[in-house]
Amino acid sequence: MELIVGGAYQGKLSYAKALHPEVTWLDGKVCTWEELLLGAGVYDFQAFIRREMQEGTLPEDLAKRLLLENPKLVVVSCEVGCGVVPVDAFDREYREKVGRICTELAAGSRRVHRVICGIGTVLKEEPCCG
Amino acid sequence: MLTMITGGSGSGKSAYAEDRILAYGEGNRVYIATMEPFGEEGAKRIQRHRKLRAGKGFSTVERYTDLAGLAVPAGSYVLLECMSNLVANEMFRPDGAGEGLLEEILLGVEKLCAQAAQVCIVTNDIFSECLGYEGETVRYQESLGAVNQTLARRADEVVEVVYGIPVILKERREGGG
Repeated sequence: MELIVGGAYQGKLSYAKALHPEVTWLDGKVCTWEELLLGAGVYDFQAFIRREMQEGTLPEDLAKRLLLENPKLVVVSCEVGCGVVPVDAFDREYREKVGRICTELAAGSRRVHRVICGIGTVLKEEPCCG
Repeated sequence: MLTMITGGSGSGKSAYAEDRILAYGEGNRVYIATMEPFGEEGAKRIQRHRKLRAGKGFSTVERYTDLAGLAVPAGSYVLLECMSNLVANEMFRPDGAGEGLLEEILLGVEKLCAQAAQVCIVTNDIFSECLGYEGETVRYQESLGAVNQTLARRADEVVEVVYGIPVILKERREGGG
């Protein structure tokens, strides 16, 4: 697993594409859970979480299952947790969920990047085991 | 040399930017203020910045749009604050560049770099919250995001200031590598 995070409009997807030109990217705004389990990369992953929450189908163990069933997935997700606590209860839960899920993905990821102004910084990198 | 400085609200990026300019040594220091003083809160904010700059030898130029039309002394040390205001002005003011703001701002920055010896630009990180903004606010975030990314590519140095601590995101390599 590899995770690329950062605020909106920072060039995360361009950075991810340059890093992995071979990947066909799924769009988290429209892709299905089945596609996610088979895909090589997904962007707007936070939007996938939001949709699953709205439909009441968000797997409780989403992060665990992704790490287990599609460990090569590259996940691009928006940082949504740094603003004021939202007034709306659903937004609060969504914001928290994105944070918790991405934290779990980060823990299981080989590499984690953060992109600011189009510049990526590797926050975590595990030595390759060959 | 072009230095871009980003960070959240109240992160100490202004003070850091001023220090960077002072570190260049004696010279003609120019502060380009892009924020229009709206109401009491705006006036207070500007007052705080003025106090921060007092005694540091900056001459202040207020410029809300049309950066490209601004002349600064040759070889000067220029601090522009803040790109987030300039983008908002170009976007929402009747005399702003509107749709063409990215090109307009880049041209302005190029012209500054051609005149000044050092240019520091302060911008703002407003991209990491979950509020589902709509319409103009999203367009504004998108525009500032595009300006920031383009400037970061052009800049020799990009620094994120976190509670007064500079985190170097991009550095000029000696020997031009």
